[in-house]
Amino acid sequence: MKIIACYSNKGGVGKTATTVNLAYAMAQAGRRVLLCDLDPQGASGFYFRVKPSKKLTETRFFEDVARFAGAIRGSDYDDLDVLPANMTFRDFDVFLARMRNSRSRLKKALKAVKSDYDVVLLDCPPNISTLSENVFRASDAIVVPVIPTTLSQRTFEQLRDFFRAHDLKEKKLHGFFSMAQGVKSLHGETMDEMRREHGKRLMTATVPFASEIERMGVHRAPVLATAPSSPASAAYRTLHDELVTRVFGK
Amino acid sequence: MSADRSRLYLLVPDALDRLAEAGAVGGLVPALSWEEGTTAFQVRDTFDQEIRHSGRLLIETETQIEVLGAEGRSLAQPGVSAARFVAEFAKGPVTSALSDLSPLRCLLPVGAGVLRRGVLALLDDEAKTQARALLLDLCVTEGGAAIVVQLQGLRGYDKALLRLRGMVEAAGGTAFGEQPLYAGLFPGQPDYRPKPQVPIGHDTEAFDAASDIIAAYLPVARANETGVIADHDTEFLHDYRIALRKIRSVLSLFRDVYDTALTDELKTRFSALMVPTGRLRDLDVYLLERERFYGMVPDSLHPGLDRMFALFAEERAAAQKSLAEHLRSPAYRKEITALVKLFGSGRKSGRRKLARGDKAALPAYDFACRLIWKRYRKICAIAEGIDAETPDHEVHELRIHCKKLRYLMEFFAPLFPEAPFKRLIKPLKKLQDNLGLFNDCSVQQDSLQQVLGRLDGATPGDLQAAQSVGALIVVLHGRQLEERARVVGSFAAFNSAATRETFRDLFHGGKE
Ligand SMILES: Nc1ncnc2c1ncn2[C@@H]1O[C@H](COP(=O)(O)OP(=O)(O)OP(=O)(O)O)[C@@H](O)[C@H]1O
Ligand SMILES: [Mg+2]
Repeated sequence: MKIIACYSNKGGVGKTATTVNLAYAMAQAGRRVLLCDLDPQGASGFYFRVKPSKKLTETRFFEDVARFAGAIRGSDYDDLDVLPANMTFRDFDVFLARMRNSRSRLKKALKAVKSDYDVVLLDCPPNISTLSENVFRASDAIVVPVIPTTLSQRTFEQLRDFFRAHDLKEKKLHGFFSMAQGVKSLHGETMDEMRREHGKRLMTATVPFASEIERMGVHRAPVLATAPSSPASAAYRTLHDELVTRVFGK
Repeated sequence: MSADRSRLYLLVPDALDRLAEAGAVGGLVPALSWEEGTTAFQVRDTFDQEIRHSGRLLIETETQIEVLGAEGRSLAQPGVSAARFVAEFAKGPVTSALSDLSPLRCLLPVGAGVLRRGVLALLDDEAKTQARALLLDLCVTEGGAAIVVQLQGLRGYDKALLRLRGMVEAAGGTAFGEQPLYAGLFPGQPDYRPKPQVPIGHDTEAFDAASDIIAAYLPVARANETGVIADHDTEFLHDYRIALRKIRSVLSLFRDVYDTALTDELKTRFSALMVPTGRLRDLDVYLLERERFYGMVPDSLHPGLDRMFALFAEERAAAQKSLAEHLRSPAYRKEITALVKLFGSGRKSGRRKLARGDKAALPAYDFACRLIWKRYRKICAIAEGIDAETPDHEVHELRIHCKKLRYLMEFFAPLFPEAPFKRLIKPLKKLQDNLGLFNDCSVQQDSLQQVLGRLDGATPGDLQAAQSVGALIVVLHGRQLEERARVVGSFAAFNSAATRETFRDLFHGGKE
């Protein structure tokens, strides 16, 4: 089982859009996927039309396997389950701490409810800077959407510095350009510059700014499901393929 | 998806429409959707309908193989299957679900038609699916139609699944199974069983019991003719022969039910039907046991076996051809039709004209007890005298008596309580297995001797083959001795105090 977090310390960069489509693409490829909506706003749950579940009290989250399993909901798609938002910030931190300390226990808990997931995808809320270290340690990979602007460039650098300063494995970072607008020459310049600077920490796949993705809120479904032949879908598929190769190997 | 979350039902098409139009139930709205277009499919089964009798359905389309009803659900695997035997299928869930079928039986087409897939979903107020049923609309060419409904629960929505199940059941959904399905899709499909259950009453006249059994097995033989001619698989001939052998054993075991002269005549006629089948069956057995023979001798002798089996295969082709010609011949057709007519019980049939023997009017129960008890006593008498010194022919005799006892018990099974009867059959089977292996080894040695006689020492390949055949005979002889050594123990295991008591109770009024 691999844990993949979609994270950025900036808001509104496409974390949720990415998580939702990656989860869908992975399930389509035959992996059993659990998407954990860690955003109290329940954005990814919204896209899958899954209603937020009742609050789970943090202290018993992993002790009580039945309650944990009981909160999971099957999405409309095969092999794709959702753990809807149900945590406060404080709970979230506990969740991650426990996840980090007891991955084997999480695995056991999931096995006990016959949910041997291949991938657990975390859709992280913005502004969790104080908790982020737990996310980084618990995950096998951190997918970071980067809007190619000067501001985002600095944010990504800060993230990298944070990893260095805290002795975290930089290799876990997998950035990619999100909402990229080819016509904006500034985007192009920033992308070139960042690729030179960050090398392999940036994936080659790029998700363009696309109205289909914006409209996900209307369809309430992954764009891969509603507009599979759109360029946006093609971009998510490429992103999926590249990430899967990086995380699972060939 | 665990098995208890998915369950199969059958619906008539009308019921489904009504169900879909029913409107919201408990805040959930049913939504029915069908895929565009239809797909051609075919259904296959073994000739003895193993798939049907186990309540399953094998559906093949151009892109996948699907088995419905395995453990109450549906399994699919991609790929077309041109393979005639399940053993030749590519690996997959369907292949392993069908691994219980006899490896000797090929799959034959049962019917074909077009199918259409759909989904019946229960949606909540946000149009989220909370439970769904996968639909398979089957329409058989010149046959019936049915909708297979497979419930599919989604994690965390158990209530919705219960609701959907309730709706399907209320709409008349019946549990997926042999009866409604095959009768609905393939009306008029004969329900072939190689072992027909012939009902016999306590007071049925022995004459009628015998004639009923013969009348039940004749169609079994006839049903296999086409398969023997077409050479679909080896079991057609095997079942054909078993049916005829059972008939012959009725004629010899039910002594004096028919007039002596008639009995002799009938025995001769049925034996004559068996004669042309013997060689092909022997060759089939050799070829089926090919692997086993290769395992008996060292690798260095395998080329000789290659040669031997090549000769067998050649001879088999010729034997099959001539048997097929025989079965197609007007003379055979005339004879078998005459026999069917002779034992038929209809008004115009010949049964009433059969000459009755002294025991014809005996009630079946008395007749059965007498025959079974006598045969059992005979077996005990022979077996008790068997030790390491006993000549082989006495062991063969024991085998034949056991076989006759087994036939008698099978014919008359409906007259006796099931449980104690089964307790007798089980150890008898074990004893027979032992005696059967002993016999097979000896028969095969004899026939391999004949093979040796036909090989020509001057032909280089034949010399090699002769060496291998010689080695096989040595191994078989060793095996025969091993089986021979087990006989005393096998009989003791069969004839326990409990067995003796049950035999007395069932067939001899409890007396010694
Ligand atoms: N590639 C894209 N092209 C166009 N619009 C996009 C794209 N990706 C995301 N969006 C839209 O941008 C908005 C923010 O995206 P999203 O919610 O995925 O970001 P986020 O990083 O999860 O935000 P938050 O930090 O609030 O959790 C949404 O309305 C979404 O539909
Ligand atoms: Mg978000």
